Amino acid sequence: MSWIREGELNLLEKISANVLKAGPMPKHVAFIMDGNRRFARRNNMERQEGHMQGFNKLAETLRWCKHLNIQEVTVYAFSIENFKRTKDEVDGLMELAKQKFERLLEERDNLEKHGVCIRVLGDLNMLPLDLQKMIAKAVVTTRAHNKCFLNVCFAYTSRYEITNAVREMAWGVEQSLIKASDVSEALLSECLYSNNSPNPDLLIRTSGEVRLSDFLLWQTSHSCLVFQSVLWPEYSFWNLCEAILQYQLNYKSIQ
Amino acid sequence: MARLYGLLWRLLLVLVHVNRAFISWLRVRLRSWKDRLWERAMAALLLPVALAGFPGSDQRKLNHNPDANANPLTGNRTSSRRSRWLSDGRSLEKLPVHIGLLVTEEEPSYTDIANLVVWCMAVGISYVSVYDNHGIFRKNSRLLEEIVRQQQDLLGIDGAKYNVEFLSNGIDKHQHHVVSCRPTVKVLSPEDGKQSIVQAAQQLCRSVENKERSSKDISVTMLDILLRESKNIPDPELVVKFGPVDSTLGFLPWHIRLTEFISLPSHRNVSYEDLLGALQRYSACQQRLGQ
Repeated sequence: MSWIREGELNLLEKISANVLKAGPMPKHVAFIMDGNRRFARRNNMERQEGHMQGFNKLAETLRWCKHLNIQEVTVYAFSIENFKRTKDEVDGLMELAKQKFERLLEERDNLEKHGVCIRVLGDLNMLPLDLQKMIAKAVVTTRAHNKCFLNVCFAYTSRYEITNAVREMAWGVEQSLIKASDVSEALLSECLYSNNSPNPDLLIRTSGEVRLSDFLLWQTSHSCLVFQSVLWPEYSFWNLCEAILQYQLNYKSIQ
Repeated sequence: MARLYGLLWRLLLVLVHVNRAFISWLRVRLRSWKDRLWERAMAALLLPVALAGFPGSDQRKLNHNPDANANPLTGNRTSSRRSRWLSDGRSLEKLPVHIGLLVTEEEPSYTDIANLVVWCMAVGISYVSVYDNHGIFRKNSRLLEEIVRQQQDLLGIDGAKYNVEFLSNGIDKHQHHVVSCRPTVKVLSPEDGKQSIVQAAQQLCRSVENKERSSKDISVTMLDILLRESKNIPDPELVVKFGPVDSTLGFLPWHIRLTEFISLPSHRNVSYEDLLGALQRYSACQQRLGQ
């Protein structure tokens, strides 16, 4: 199935979107898309099918975000910790990712039309080589697009990201490009995988868990955190509106 | 048209605030109603026992030691409270070793925070971190004094065994006993978050500058050890957040990767039952750790 969903919102959705847009809107939303396997269990499906549904929900959510003028979306697709899962499940997820990135390359004209820039953040050298190549192609193909941005965190944990940033700065010191005294909060932020993006305004985690699971710990220190009990494949436009409303209620206190 | 949507949005916010105010009013009413019902039930049940003249040790003590310095009634009350709290802690499936109390409200109430800290220690939690995003708790020693006062009030005179160590900045690290069964309270502020990560990074870069190590040697474990050494605490398994703000407001970003976040509406007039409720919710959380 496609990454880009066409289609307008229905009348009720459109009205709600317009009401929300009258208030402060998040420009960058991050999602921890949790609950695919529980969804599959609940509906007597295979796990892989649960992950497929999860991907479809991602594509739909991107469509809603576009209508809500949310320019940037970051998603937690695969954690380094997830490599601990069974070989079957990990292979299945890698296969799914490969199919999706292949599909992405087929749709490059559509991506250009919508101005979608795809970035993949993580320790990509942990992934199978053919997947790495596909990811590289997708990122390079969409590099110049600038209407909306999708950051996919794959083989990612926040601690690895911060450590990598420290390593980069240490490398800079080794090469005499910078001094140790130049190390600062701003420089560290510049060395993170997410250095091209502003910090997320809103972080949403589905499936009822109330933890961050090593996702964007540095970047979300002052973001609005919303934990919702709905499972990711069942996420609806109204769940998204509820989260945005929560952001709007917190807006003044977080500034 | 835009004006109409603006009005509708403001109306929506008002409705949400009214809804929240109603729910919190209801919660307070229900609690006071439940308390009164409990009191009445207890009175009704215990009155026949009192009337039958059941001999209790409290009664005897009162008769024999009217001049005792430590009021035996109070003494018995605090020791029964202490044992109740300890057994509450033991009855939970899992108890955090390190709990964080994140206060997002503007004017903190030192007494209520002190109560929370003492309850946490009494229930069996080894490390309690108190945090607010303005660094108010760090600025003065009021919290320390209040905690000592509440310790005596709530835990009785020999609450001294819960001797508390106050660590408010990295310089104190040498005073902390690694193998210590004494609960430790830490007062944290935003400087302990990103700033300490930056300081660790500077330290590593300096050692690279001095050719003591190569940049390739820098690993997650190395950074973790550095960050742990300056604070010397395990990662908080649970953070209880007080107040309406839905954010960590800079609380220890590196350490909260697996922390469960439980929100309570306010720390003002918080009760022991509120804290116990949060601990019970924590004990029901299941972590899959990636699997």
